[in-house]
Amino acid sequence: MISAVDLIALLPLLILTGTAILAMLAIAIRRNHRLVFLLTVAGLLGALALVPMAANMTPRTVTPLLLVDRYALVFTALALAAGLVVVCLCRSYFGVRADQPEEVYLLILTALLGAGVLAAGRHFASFFLGLETLSVSLFALIAYPYRDERALEAGIKYLVLSGAASGFLVFGMALVYADTGTLEFSALISASSTLTIIIGTILIVAAVSFKLSLVPFHLWTADVYQGAPAPVTAFLATVSKGAVFVLLLRYAVAGGLGQAPALVNVLSLLAALSMLAGNLLALRQDNLKRLLAYSSIAHMGYLLIVLVAGSKVSGSFAAEALLFYLAAYFVTTLAAFGTITVLSPSDREAESLDDYAGLFHSHPWPATVLASALLSLAGIPLTAGFVGKFYLFAAGGLGELWTLLALLVVGSGLGLYYYVRVIFQMAKPSLDIAGKPTAPAPLEAHLVLVVLLVLLFGLGVYPGGVIDLLTMAALR
Amino acid sequence: MLGYLWLVPLLPLVGFVILVVSQGNLDKRWVPWVGAGSVGLSAALAGWIGYEFLAGPAVSYKLPLWSWARVGDFSADFGLYLDFLSLNMMFVVTGVGFLIHLYSVGFMVDDPGYARFFAYMNLFVAAMLVLVLADNLVFLYLGWEGVGLCSYLLIGFWYDNPENGAAARKAFVMTRVGDTAFIVGLILLFAALGSLDVQTLLHRAPASWRPGSDLAVLAAALLLGGAVGKSAQLPLQTWLPDAMAGPTPISALIHAATMVTAGVYLIARTHALFELAPAVLQAVAVIGAVTLLMAGCSALTQRDIKRILAYSTISQIGYMFLALGVGAYSAAIFHLTTHAYFKALLFLAAGAVIHSYHHEHDIFRMGGLRERLPVAFWSFLIGSAALTALPFTSGYYSKHEILAAAFAAPDGAWLWGAGTLGALLTGLYSFRLVFVAFFGPPNLRASEHLGFAMTVPLVVLGGLAVFGGLFPMPLGSALPRHEVAGFAPSVEVVTEAAPFIGAGLAVAFYLTRTWSPEELVRADWGSALQRLWFNGWGLDWLYGVLLIRPFRWLAEANRGDVLDDVYRAVAYFSRAGHRALAATQTGRLRWYAAGLAGGALLTVAVGILA
Repeated sequence: MISAVDLIALLPLLILTGTAILAMLAIAIRRNHRLVFLLTVAGLLGALALVPMAANMTPRTVTPLLLVDRYALVFTALALAAGLVVVCLCRSYFGVRADQPEEVYLLILTALLGAGVLAAGRHFASFFLGLETLSVSLFALIAYPYRDERALEAGIKYLVLSGAASGFLVFGMALVYADTGTLEFSALISASSTLTIIIGTILIVAAVSFKLSLVPFHLWTADVYQGAPAPVTAFLATVSKGAVFVLLLRYAVAGGLGQAPALVNVLSLLAALSMLAGNLLALRQDNLKRLLAYSSIAHMGYLLIVLVAGSKVSGSFAAEALLFYLAAYFVTTLAAFGTITVLSPSDREAESLDDYAGLFHSHPWPATVLASALLSLAGIPLTAGFVGKFYLFAAGGLGELWTLLALLVVGSGLGLYYYVRVIFQMAKPSLDIAGKPTAPAPLEAHLVLVVLLVLLFGLGVYPGGVIDLLTMAALR
Repeated sequence: MLGYLWLVPLLPLVGFVILVVSQGNLDKRWVPWVGAGSVGLSAALAGWIGYEFLAGPAVSYKLPLWSWARVGDFSADFGLYLDFLSLNMMFVVTGVGFLIHLYSVGFMVDDPGYARFFAYMNLFVAAMLVLVLADNLVFLYLGWEGVGLCSYLLIGFWYDNPENGAAARKAFVMTRVGDTAFIVGLILLFAALGSLDVQTLLHRAPASWRPGSDLAVLAAALLLGGAVGKSAQLPLQTWLPDAMAGPTPISALIHAATMVTAGVYLIARTHALFELAPAVLQAVAVIGAVTLLMAGCSALTQRDIKRILAYSTISQIGYMFLALGVGAYSAAIFHLTTHAYFKALLFLAAGAVIHSYHHEHDIFRMGGLRERLPVAFWSFLIGSAALTALPFTSGYYSKHEILAAAFAAPDGAWLWGAGTLGALLTGLYSFRLVFVAFFGPPNLRASEHLGFAMTVPLVVLGGLAVFGGLFPMPLGSALPRHEVAGFAPSVEVVTEAAPFIGAGLAVAFYLTRTWSPEELVRADWGSALQRLWFNGWGLDWLYGVLLIRPFRWLAEANRGDVLDDVYRAVAYFSRAGHRALAATQTGRLRWYAAGLAGGALLTVAVGILA
């Protein structure tokens, strides 16, 4: 039976669920954009506020499906904060563009719920449920401006390919179940690695790699990033990928998968391919959203180093490195897409690099945020991205993954080229291209950018505070 | 109060930020309040903190600031460390620094770059304070590079003239040679001893290295490389005379009183390391002795008032190195302190002369300035007396201590001899400058209009140059005590007499004209020597032949750089890779789905086969 303590541990997720239902009812009774927005913000803040309370109850297994521990809760808090940022960006973005913007919030709430379930998942059933809750919400979010052909196309592409990937996932789970007779991750550690289990696990990894857009499962990424509305792309790039990664690490550590050389080989290959191909694809890209999509492929490849090293370094260090990198990546990516959102005129999105020519002169404030985000993505010291990359090097060094680290260096070099290229573009003398006005600056979106910029440098200059927090979230 | 130590370097930094952010739009009346005021506050605070520290029982105080990163074994913690050594340096940097800032308020007032000047000066003071207060070598290195940057910016302050830019670059590149050795030394220390915290290092080094072991010698030699670069000692001293291209207050602050003595501070700070490498310590002494003689000779032949003082600075730092090399660390720091007083005085007085006499630098075109420029004259007289180490001036006490320590060292007779000969040279070139510039028939074209801001620092520094030697900082707890037996009477007489002989020669050559210097130069050997000395012993020429010309030749020969081809190839293949991969982005769903299936096949195959 579920006890009261279990419920407290689940409170953040329960609040999310409750808010989603409330929002749905509110919309059903009377459409009011501001009301739904405020409700969502309140729900997210409430859920965030309850995370520390839930943390007092950890670790706690709630039903066989979920394990609420600090690792899960730290990520949940991160996802909720990211959700809050996205919601603030959405308000003005959809307020201007969509006739009926209210359901966006509902979908974001359910997607966050899926992410929370994934972070706490310890069982194939919660894995699948969480992933599908997240994905299905995303289909709708991507195609939300359904009159826009490209958004619709992106939504359909993601839907079809995601469906195919889920097929691999379920098939892989079935193979593992066929051999072990259990659906809990922890059962894998005692199972001898038969061929069936290996193939099953690799299929699961393949499906997850699709979500993380690792090469060679990456082909959809740029199209979907480009087609989706900018705030949704921000969500897709951060929360969706982060949740899957968090689950993957738990799965790998709990299931003792690091001991299986076959799997380490596969992950190393995916990491190597992603780092190279992602950066190469971004190299001469002239569309900022596509550029960030390709860069995200490379970043997920970088992050796989932690997972590969996870077999050699302690699980707690791997978790610390992963969570810090994710936090840095979230802040940075949200800042980048936040700038795109703020700069987009109401009839289209500012995605071509031409839109950014002379931005430092015409819009110095968003240009500063975007430049900082790009520098952080490149891993320049004093930004969050640098400390994140430092963790990767530390993890790779401890795990003695010299080949992958060499590729990380090569990839960072390539990365600097295309990130700085954008900054150059922004620093060019202002070309007075007509029709470059931005939508009226929404206050909360700018506020969010301020907070993100502070965090971006805060994490880079004084990472100690967050690191202390993360060491408590050690994954055992 | 000690807890506010962090404010001492922060205040000038805030001043810098204000001046930079306002981008020269700050009302000119406010610039000195920010620029000199921030350093003044910092000096007052330093005084207060120093008073409390001296009154208290503690011998050291550590103020942790923040931990920048701690991953694995690597930790970069930043903190400030106060003991008698760093306290002494803090007093010099903030005190003399403030006086020079005050002087600059008057000196630079007509310069269009007024705010920029104070911004760089503030940044310099902040960086210098970080250098002397840092508790770990990484932090110290931050200050070290910071002062180097400011030195570069300020030497080239009047950047309209390409010569000034060249001088700035020369200073930067020459010190960079030393800095490279320094950073390699830091890496070596971290690799061998596992820490860069100064106190930890000084405890660990004797525990893990025996005296004279290879690593200890190598580490000390690399640190020495950094020190000779920054402090303009042989063989890296050639940048300092050219650095006089900067405004005169800069020469006083950076290239006389503070930055150039950073090398002396570094060696004193890490003395335990040098004690483990007796050969390197010996080298320090020899470098000091040779440099002080070479620079002293060069100073004899210069005509430019500031270049004379620059060579004199190199020579005096040579004395400090000599003291360090024989283990008399506290004597070195004592001389550093008194030198800061009288050399800053001399430079500021030189600035007053230049300011009052149509921006003239050549002393042979001056003459007879004594009556028209009384403040500058008396300042020069006091400063030269202290520089020459005439009795009862501050320089006398510190130089005497150094010579006594040198004589007491094993085989120290040569070092003492060099130092004493140097003292004679010092007397000669100092008073040559005074007699040539200030004596002779009265010169009516000069007029002194210094104003309050420029006069006060001269008077205060004049007082310090005379009396500053009476209150040496009790460095005993920070540096090993160095007991020196007295001289034998005959040696004592020679030591005491040397400066007087030098000054006396100057009287005979330049005041009474009993002997004619021109006659010496007319002889073949005389003119050859004169040219050699005037050109700083031809080191610039030597480096030109040995390094610059071959390098230029190589650069010329490799015009179509072979290495560039490597990078061009990297770029070419990256672009090719980009094109190939971009072709896979067709936008067709069926192709993407095929990719998914293919990827699954690939991963399963790798999993099974590899």
